[in-house]
Amino acid sequence: MGTLTLLPCVAAGAPSAAAPIRVGLTPVFLSSDLELTGRLAAYLEKATARPVELVTRRTYQEVTAMLVAGQLDAAWICGFPFVAHRSELQLVATPVWRGQPLYRAYVIVDRDRKAGGIAALRGDIHAFSDPDSNSGFLCTRAALAELGERSETFFSRSFFTYGHRNVIEAVSSGLAASGSVDGYVYDVVSELEPKFVARTRVLRTSEWLGFPPIAAPASPPDAGRLNVLKAALLGMDGDADGRAVLALLKLDRFATEPMGLYDAIAAKAAMVAAAG
Amino acid sequence: MRVDPRRWPIAFKVPVAVAILMLVAGAVLSERVLDRLGDIQQRHLRELAQGYLDGLSSAVGPSVLRDDVWEVYDAITRAQVQYKGLRPSEAVVTDPRGVVIAASDPRNHTVGSAFVPSASRPFAYESGSATARAHRELSYPGRTIGHLYATFDTSHLAAERRDVIATLLITNGILLAIFVAAGWLVVARMMRPVRVLTEHLGASSDGVAVPIADWEVQRSRGEFRRMFGAYNDLSTSIAERDELRKRLAEEERLGSLGRLASSVAHEINNPLGGLFNAISTLRSHGHLPAAREGAVGLLERGLAGIRDVVRTTLAVHRPREGARNLQPDDVDDLLVLVAAEARRKSVRVTVTARLAAEVPIPSGPVRQALLNILLNAIAAAPPVSVVELAVAGTPDSVTFEVRDRGEGLPADAAAMLTDPARIPTAGAGLGLWTTRGLVAEIEGVLETETLPGGGTLVRMVVPLARDQALADVA
Repeated sequence: MGTLTLLPCVAAGAPSAAAPIRVGLTPVFLSSDLELTGRLAAYLEKATARPVELVTRRTYQEVTAMLVAGQLDAAWICGFPFVAHRSELQLVATPVWRGQPLYRAYVIVDRDRKAGGIAALRGDIHAFSDPDSNSGFLCTRAALAELGERSETFFSRSFFTYGHRNVIEAVSSGLAASGSVDGYVYDVVSELEPKFVARTRVLRTSEWLGFPPIAAPASPPDAGRLNVLKAALLGMDGDADGRAVLALLKLDRFATEPMGLYDAIAAKAAMVAAAG
Repeated sequence: MRVDPRRWPIAFKVPVAVAILMLVAGAVLSERVLDRLGDIQQRHLRELAQGYLDGLSSAVGPSVLRDDVWEVYDAITRAQVQYKGLRPSEAVVTDPRGVVIAASDPRNHTVGSAFVPSASRPFAYESGSATARAHRELSYPGRTIGHLYATFDTSHLAAERRDVIATLLITNGILLAIFVAAGWLVVARMMRPVRVLTEHLGASSDGVAVPIADWEVQRSRGEFRRMFGAYNDLSTSIAERDELRKRLAEEERLGSLGRLASSVAHEINNPLGGLFNAISTLRSHGHLPAAREGAVGLLERGLAGIRDVVRTTLAVHRPREGARNLQPDDVDDLLVLVAAEARRKSVRVTVTARLAAEVPIPSGPVRQALLNILLNAIAAAPPVSVVELAVAGTPDSVTFEVRDRGEGLPADAAAMLTDPARIPTAGAGLGLWTTRGLVAEIEGVLETETLPGGGTLVRMVVPLARDQALADVA
């Protein structure tokens, strides 16, 4: 857990600076990178002139629950919990990746596997990322629902790895025959560590969907803190340190997008819910 | 040929014994070392394996309860890295029914497949084998929630063991070679004085005891030095005894020569009176044909007798005659030689059996010995008795028997004739001792018997020269 309470007197002359900005992180992005979280915290503290506390939990659910409960000023969550809790949350910023605020979900299999489509995966041991993940759970269930299947019966067995990276590893090692993974994570990892994904290949890609957003409670615990945080995020590409963080994340910038960006995910959630 | 280690030379036996002892000691030591190494390796491995199992089972326990495949796999993978020194090659976690939850190699043991453990003992490792196995029951208070099976790569321990074996073999081999060589050298060095002594003793069986050289004696130490000294003393006393014997023999030869000379002189003197008478007769009655014929005849017979005596003496004592074979005439010559002595004692010498032809035995020593035996018999015989000589040949020897009717040969004198250990005292038994020496030289045997009714039989058996024995015997 990265409790990065640095320089308590950074914002001299701003008494309210004593209360840190709490930002939740989920494995939607390249998690467990201490350099990344350190730099992100450092940038945010510099940009907001406030102490920043980055909060990580094992599952999406825990972070989402904290966010909805108002324990966090903002959190980088997945599109699925965002649409699920749309009434309780507001959109702060959406990352822009390769020029768009969009990403896709992948179904990956072993490199040498002959399977041609998701229908060929019947009876597999399947690795999901997280039950609250869009790309790592919802998209595959939605695709199966389109085929009139339910993941519980379609796969012989499935398990959660609570990390997109772990899904890639599970398929690479043979622990799972197929896996549902975030396309952004998969593409970035294959760019940075080609060996790590070498034993896998992408079997199916979803349509383009809204990139996991930075969300805040609809009624934020402190509007002032949220505003400086939002400004810091949106201005990240205008700052050298911010660009360094974006470079590590392989993102272009953070942007303000309409809520409608996540309608497609909401539709999927509705379809899966309808399929039971 | 049978191998009898008791006959091996000691310089060979000792190194062999050292080698055997070293081999046994080396084998016992090696066995102990390997046994100990095996124990240490096993204990070390067992402790490491316990640590591994403790760590992994506590890491996977909660995940097994939740059937969390990823967490179990992640824990196994982390343990593989964490316990690198232990070289875990495989780990499998199953539920209580043996269904795989996760394994280090999921392709080999897929999730949900049945796992059949090869050993369910908590720990199994055979010294020298390439793998070790361990099993741990995963239990949550009160119940079994799963099993953890681990396999460890122990090829490095096997290699270590092989290294130790190779080191032991090489070390033992080198030590063995060194000890055997050292044993051989030490024994050879220790046995050197014994060898020197043996060589000298072996040489002395030829009749000459050569003393051990001074430098050899100086070199030796302790008991061997005393032994060499004793041997040299012995050798000196043997040499002195031989010298004495030679001197005595010479004296005896001169003594018998004197006796012979006097008997020859007597033989020549006897007819001289008659011859001078014949010369007087010729001088005074030479004109009478009858007297002249008678005197000349007397002269001729007398001179013939003298000629015979001289010729026989020459024949018996001719130098280097020993190489000639014995002729029948040689025995007759002896009778002529002893005739004067016999006549003086009024003893008659008769020959009851004689040789028919030449026999391959050296004539010189035989005649000399037989002459001494005859003279001895004549000396022992009472007046007006008979001394008998019998000569008989067999396919491999010639037997000479001389019988007299005297009082019998005293035991002391008989021993002098037959016992090689007896040495004559001054003036006594010298003739008999000389005779024994002569007979021994030609490998003959002397025996004495006391005859019933008084008298002595002396038997001399002389073997034939081997190559002619069968062809020439009469």
